[in-house]
Amino acid sequence: MSTQLPSDEQPPAQAMWSVRAEVGADEVPTSARPAGYDGRGLPGSDGATRRARPIRPATTLHWLRSHRQHAVLLAFVLPALVYIIIFFAYPLVYGFKMSVEKLGFIAGSGPFVGLHNYKVEISDPVTRTALMNTAIFLVVSIIFQFSIGLAVASYFNRRFFLSRFLRSLIIVPWLFPPIASATIFSIMFAGQGGIIDEVLRSLHLIGSPIFWFDSSFKAMFVIILVNIWIGIPFNAVLLYSGLQDIPDDLREAAALDGAGPWKRFRYVTLPLLRPVALIVIMLGIIYTVKTFDTVVLLTNGGPDNGSQLMSTWAYQLAFTNFQTGQGAAVGDMLFIFCMIVAFFYIRATRREVVMA
Amino acid sequence: MRERRTMKFLWKRYCRRIVLPIGGLAITAVMLLPIYFTVESSLEPTSVIQALSQSLVPSHFVLSNYSFAFNAESGSILTSLLIGLGAVALSIGVGLPAAYGLTKLGYLKSRAIVSGAILVLLVTQMVPGISLSLAFYKLFLHLHLLNSIPGLIIADSTNGMPFATLVLRAFMGSIPVELSDAAYVDGASEWRTFRSVIAPLAVPAIISAGLFVFLFAWGDFLYAYTLTAGGNVTPLTKGLLNFFNNNTADWGGVLATVVLAAIPSGLILGFGQRYVFGGLRAGALKG
Repeated sequence: MSTQLPSDEQPPAQAMWSVRAEVGADEVPTSARPAGYDGRGLPGSDGATRRARPIRPATTLHWLRSHRQHAVLLAFVLPALVYIIIFFAYPLVYGFKMSVEKLGFIAGSGPFVGLHNYKVEISDPVTRTALMNTAIFLVVSIIFQFSIGLAVASYFNRRFFLSRFLRSLIIVPWLFPPIASATIFSIMFAGQGGIIDEVLRSLHLIGSPIFWFDSSFKAMFVIILVNIWIGIPFNAVLLYSGLQDIPDDLREAAALDGAGPWKRFRYVTLPLLRPVALIVIMLGIIYTVKTFDTVVLLTNGGPDNGSQLMSTWAYQLAFTNFQTGQGAAVGDMLFIFCMIVAFFYIRATRREVVMA
Repeated sequence: MRERRTMKFLWKRYCRRIVLPIGGLAITAVMLLPIYFTVESSLEPTSVIQALSQSLVPSHFVLSNYSFAFNAESGSILTSLLIGLGAVALSIGVGLPAAYGLTKLGYLKSRAIVSGAILVLLVTQMVPGISLSLAFYKLFLHLHLLNSIPGLIIADSTNGMPFATLVLRAFMGSIPVELSDAAYVDGASEWRTFRSVIAPLAVPAIISAGLFVFLFAWGDFLYAYTLTAGGNVTPLTKGLLNFFNNNTADWGGVLATVVLAAIPSGLILGFGQRYVFGGLRAGALKG
């Protein structure tokens, strides 16, 4: 995996070199070096520098300068911090506050009602449909996005004439604004004169036009299809870069040992791809569960709330039904789900995060 | 035995030139069929698109769909352009110094701060927009930012800023520390080092992050839909939905609008491809 950091690749040599660098560096007047700056930013050199550290006098000036540099660097981070507090932390807290109030029109205000909105929404049949739909949407989308994405990535993992060019074209659906993709499919799936309908009819698979958006099953089918189409390039590109990081020697060694293509894939490629695959799946879950645009354009949650997802349902409660408190409650349920996935995502990438 | 070996040799030889490219073309064609259909149909009158016998090349070539779509959506295109550029400016303006600060703090044994900050940036990317948008609506109502381009720039940057910071930081981590070390020895301040040494070196990553932020903002529908209700600021994504709902029967016009909305994606694919792949990789896998 490309995400491995230098420390993984050059363990003892790096540390030794670092000690030498430290000794050499001490010949430079201390005033010319940033205090507290151990001369080496690379992880893994820590132990060595810590040992070398007492050589330098820990003066007050030293301490001051080190803290000054910290303060300056923190000032670089400050605008981002302010932005995150005002436009992430505050809205999240505020959103939670809205979900525990009896709030009708979104611009209004209401009394505190505790977890009432959550209780109402959990027993609401539409919320249950939305939950169920979101779950189906998620599972089916991810399975197909990932497996097709992996197939495409494996195919393009070999070098051949045009491979670079074709590989870069495949990413297009992912660069499209999702609402534009949804519009295309909406016209393709139109019941009268739509191209899908026409193809099916010319193949004599159907006799009369299919109205794709008149039952929740068919509507969900189209929504999921669109989402899979959008998701394949994303999966394919990331899995491709994961595949590229697996050294060819391993597969060659397996081939010499008599492993066929399937065995090489199953016992060499797949286990080595696992970390990237996990990340891709979790990012896929997060992107999929947030889906909003495509549903609004294709079905707007219909027919009869049959294709409502948690995101569109939260919107509808707040902006159309004027039950903002309950909309906020549904939005927060979605938020909690995303945070659970985020927890696992971060656990999977923790090594990188900590080391970086 | 020898025959088998020859067969294997021939297979290997022609595989790369003929068999694999044909398969690759087929995969790409299937994936891009809807896009081909869109472009092809947008050049035909709606009556032809809906006619039962469709052809692979436009049979009645017209540009009227585009003139209609462009006249209806030119205001939206400008709005989306401004929002996209504004979001890039805000996200990079905030994210670039933050990435620098985090990179240098990482060298200063402040790894706890850095890991914490990266964690926060990762988590913010996973907050569903719909959970934020209700609160944004109320917040913007008080700040008079509803139905405004600055409001949408701020909202869209919630997608772009954390992503840009992570991509930039991942890149800066790969710039040799000796460079800022040398700048320090030469007496440069942190600001000077940032401005004259690190930022110029990070230009490829800045382009990469900027392209993504622009695409996020350009393609954003959620905030465009929730934070402009009843107003006269209409980004192109919302304009497309309105156009679709108002001209349901005019497929040619709708598909021409889709093509207009997809122009930045096409341009980026044409000119900024390596930045897209690099950014996607750094943003998703490196954290």
